[in-house]
Amino acid sequence: MSKTEADHREEPPAPATGRRRSIDEDWAATILGLVLLVLVIAGVIPTGLVP
Amino acid sequence: MSAEEAGLAPRTPQAADDTGAPADRPAGATWPWTLAGLVVVLALAAVTRLLDTGIPDLLEGTALGDLAAVIEYPVYAIALGLLGNAVLTVTGLRERLAGGFRTEFFIKTGLVLLGASINLGVIITAAGPALVQAIVLISAVFLFTWWLGGKFGLDDKLRALLSAAVSICGVSAAIAAAGAVQARREQLAYSASMVIAFALPSIFILPWLATVFGLSPEVAGAWVGGNIDTTAAVTAAGAIVGEEALQVATIVKVTQNALMGVVAVALTAYFVLRIERRTDAPRPGVGDLWRRFPKFVLGFITASVIATWWLTTVPAAEGKATIGVANDLRTWFLILAFVSIGLEFRVASLKEAGWRPVGVFAAATAVNLILGLGLAVLLFSGFSVT
Repeated sequence: MSKTEADHREEPPAPATGRRRSIDEDWAATILGLVLLVLVIAGVIPTGLVP
Repeated sequence: MSAEEAGLAPRTPQAADDTGAPADRPAGATWPWTLAGLVVVLALAAVTRLLDTGIPDLLEGTALGDLAAVIEYPVYAIALGLLGNAVLTVTGLRERLAGGFRTEFFIKTGLVLLGASINLGVIITAAGPALVQAIVLISAVFLFTWWLGGKFGLDDKLRALLSAAVSICGVSAAIAAAGAVQARREQLAYSASMVIAFALPSIFILPWLATVFGLSPEVAGAWVGGNIDTTAAVTAAGAIVGEEALQVATIVKVTQNALMGVVAVALTAYFVLRIERRTDAPRPGVGDLWRRFPKFVLGFITASVIATWWLTTVPAAEGKATIGVANDLRTWFLILAFVSIGLEFRVASLKEAGWRPVGVFAAATAVNLILGLGLAVLLFSGFSVT
């Protein structure tokens, strides 16, 4: 560990982009999940269609 | 050897989400490759579905019939994902296709759909014990890991990452903690790899132990949800135990997810004010809490609200059949997520970590298991989802 720690002591923190992607995926998953649920309830995706 | 030399760094700044998916895709990943990756995931998911329904029928009446009947779809999905991982690694295609392995997106969509099968009353009833369990477990396991990391001489930032990862919700907690404490990329890579390495066997060991201990589905679900670090692995283990366990495990895990922002903000404040002793840094506020809040939790609750209301407006049989379609869709998304977990599993960065972080993580996991079992029995023994 010590060598890698020394190598990267000033490594810039990177999580910001990943966090943004994660947040975007949060909303995308939320919207897709709810849209699919509404389509199922509305009968657009009928019983037997999903294998 | 540094992380870069080991070929880790390009993939690991945001090494993975809480499901183990690398959040930072390879620079060379392009659109067609991402699409091809998605096709691979879908194809393996279709095979999983075929095996899940076909194998029990095929082996019925044979010596393996009983075994085939109890193997749930997460087992096929993860096994096929690992197999695909091996094939794609040998052929050198895995890194290019990795853009299509969207574990986090798949699992969160699946969990939103899972909300439709959980009565809002169950969520409200379970929220109290789930919150108590989450607060006690997160506090105790976080502080134990922090203390043990200090005894093992780990760097403060790595201690923070490991503590957050093992006590809250795996890799997404490690990512949030990494942002809070300005951790280095290889520290996040180590933490992410350990989360996945410990979560994979837990998917199978915890349901087995729950059976050995004779736990009720609700207690088993609370134990699984409180202990396994990644949300996808919790869902896989819960599904292996059964539907009731899956519901409780999800509620417990979602509660932990929701608390992640609080821990991240607290860590930011602690590192700025106590470790780095900076006086010029802005204090974290409510906006930081909202930014770090996992938004799919809102989708999960909204789906439950919609389904609970809608079921009061239609005959019971029609309602059951329709929610069954939502459940089928949910199963598909969970299979996609489990296949992706298998496809993305990497051991390379774990080897880089050395034995001390692994030892700390293992000890913290053991404490988490024992304390989590006690809390699950205490808080969920009289609980019922029906």
